[in-house]
Amino acid sequence: MKLRLHNVRLPLAHFVLELDAEFTGQVAAIFGPSGAGKTSILDLIAGLRRAQSAQIELDGRALTDTGHDVFVPTRQRGVGYVPQEGALFPHLSVLHNLQYGAPRHPVGESKSQFGHVVEMLEIGELVNRRPQSLSGGEKQRVALARALLSSPRLLLLDEPLAALDQPLKLKIMPYLQRVRDEFRVPMIYVTHNANEVMALCDEVLVIDQGKQIRQGAPGDLFTASDEPQFVLKNGL
Amino acid sequence: MSAQEVQIVWFTARVAALSTVLILPLGIALAWLLARRDWRGKSVVETVVALPLVLPPVATGLLLLKLLGRRGPLGGFIYQHFGLDIVFTWRGVVVAAAVMSFPLLVRAARIAFQEVNPRLEQIASTLGAGFTRVFFTVTLPLAARGIVAGALLAFSRALGEFGATILVAGNIPGKTQTISLSIYTLVQLGHDVDALRLLSVSVGLAFLVVWGSELFYRRRDRA
Amino acid sequence: MRKALVGYLACGVLCSSVVLSIPAKEIDVPKQHGVAPAGELTVYAAASLSDVLQELSTEYAKQTGEKLVFNFSASSTLERQIEEGAPADVFFSADEEKMDSLERKGLLLAGTRHSLLSNSLVIVVPADASWQLTSAFDLTNAVIQRIAIAEPQSVPAGIYAKQYLSKLGLWNRLVSKCVPAENVRAALAAIESGNVDAGIVYKTDARISRTVSVAYEVPPAEGPKISYPVAVLKDSKAADAAKRLIHYLKSEAALQVFRKYGFLVGAGPQ
Repeated sequence: MKLRLHNVRLPLAHFVLELDAEFTGQVAAIFGPSGAGKTSILDLIAGLRRAQSAQIELDGRALTDTGHDVFVPTRQRGVGYVPQEGALFPHLSVLHNLQYGAPRHPVGESKSQFGHVVEMLEIGELVNRRPQSLSGGEKQRVALARALLSSPRLLLLDEPLAALDQPLKLKIMPYLQRVRDEFRVPMIYVTHNANEVMALCDEVLVIDQGKQIRQGAPGDLFTASDEPQFVLKNGL
Repeated sequence: MSAQEVQIVWFTARVAALSTVLILPLGIALAWLLARRDWRGKSVVETVVALPLVLPPVATGLLLLKLLGRRGPLGGFIYQHFGLDIVFTWRGVVVAAAVMSFPLLVRAARIAFQEVNPRLEQIASTLGAGFTRVFFTVTLPLAARGIVAGALLAFSRALGEFGATILVAGNIPGKTQTISLSIYTLVQLGHDVDALRLLSVSVGLAFLVVWGSELFYRRRDRA
Repeated sequence: MRKALVGYLACGVLCSSVVLSIPAKEIDVPKQHGVAPAGELTVYAAASLSDVLQELSTEYAKQTGEKLVFNFSASSTLERQIEEGAPADVFFSADEEKMDSLERKGLLLAGTRHSLLSNSLVIVVPADASWQLTSAFDLTNAVIQRIAIAEPQSVPAGIYAKQYLSKLGLWNRLVSKCVPAENVRAALAAIESGNVDAGIVYKTDARISRTVSVAYEVPPAEGPKISYPVAVLKDSKAADAAKRLIHYLKSEAALQVFRKYGFLVGAGPQ
């Protein structure tokens, strides 16, 4: 991917979010504690929020440029979004949720893509169910599938595993890896969990209180420790 | 029940239904605006919408009478250009009922919209849906319950409207006499038994409306 | 949350006390209903008597110090209210029927009933109307789409109007054009507003209005027998004062005022 965030400035409740970063990997993590402004970054990329100033470019195409009065509406940005929870439309069946962003009358390639995504995320049995009857893990897989089926240029994931318990996290992670490896869709992955960063991402941006701290490869920034979690290296 | 009484009940039901249908589009649109947007003068709009709820019904009726009479700013225009009378006709009954029940619909619909998770609408737009599609496929279906509740409330209010109706439409038997106006006249004439009979029809209608709305909710719940 | 609630209530109390303490002139509206304090007489009177009785009550107060509290409405409404126990001392009706009904129910103080006045009907049109009417027959004209009268089933003015039109054989043709009003003054208001094309009210009502014009005056001999009786109510707690009032109303001084307003003195032709 080629995602550039220049001169981003967004006043938030307790601090001002300021960013100037580029993402070139396949899966980039935005890592930081809760309330650091991570979700706001995703909202800016998706065009769900407007910054005081920002230049956001994806694959050479300007999505936001406050200097030149450019703002591409969300629906035209081609970004998929998987939030932490509660993403599925409760009044639609799983099937209709999945079809929401997909072409109206799929032919040929898109038809097979549907089957492919459903198979890969193993949600075939769920298609006629209602979102309320699904488990947490099933919901997130459906949300992921739905976003994929809209053929996004970039996938934004906001702590998608945070609401799941540890065993479930371990169970769902392989699906995310599958999406990364088989679909090759660039992803921005927001989390405060270092293990997820290590398992999935090839670059990471560390932020805290709205300011970027470090950016680099996960292996450079994280280190194994006695505790079961990876931790940030000292000095960061 | 005599033929006359049947006519009165049927007339009242039709007028209330028509008035509810008429206020739905504007009511829903306004409720959405109030729930989702902010603008200078928003509180003025909120106050004006709430007026029929807060003012005595006859006060609202007086305002409508002045506005919609043949010499009124709006009524005069309509009379000149379309040859239509509103005051003292069934149209006046519909207008009075619509105005008095409008705030109830807006209130309920606004709350319904406020309870729709905006995240869902945002997700829908990331999936490529424009404003109209998001509204009709996500926002409205999710708010539907509350809106229907508001519509039923508005309908009940329209059924029982009296104060504004009697000023704007008069109490003309066979033309503008609703159940409540008829009960009023019967009491004035001392025909208490007839009045009580219409009263029980009123109560029956109320039960029907409430029971119908309960049915609606239970079916939605089971779905 | 509780603090906010307390604060809000405190504000409300403060504002109310501020508003209530603002000195304001009392609006000069005759008190409606309610129990009159001692030294006040409650008079339930037909709507068409509003103006003349207001003037008379000022005179009466000057002369006797007695204060009159009025309830003006359709005589039929007043009759119902009295039957349901409303606290009236004197009833001044626009037709005998209502008084008869009360008498049958034993609600009148014996010996106090007098038929005092009569009136005549007029056909009126809004002052700026472009059409002319020369008789009741002209009401059948297509130009006249709506005719305001008092409710013809119960209100005296409406009953009189119906009697008159029936006598002329016009009632069945005109009934679909009729817009019944709650009392004769409401009918008058409808005509004044221009929302109806014509109406039938008392001559005395037309006189006090500046925005209707009389198209045709029904000669008393051709019109219905209009009679305004007055009586003291049996349950009155101020029977003596009430009797004094009726005595005053029968006096030449009072009758002159009635004539001034256009009432005919003495009951109509029986």
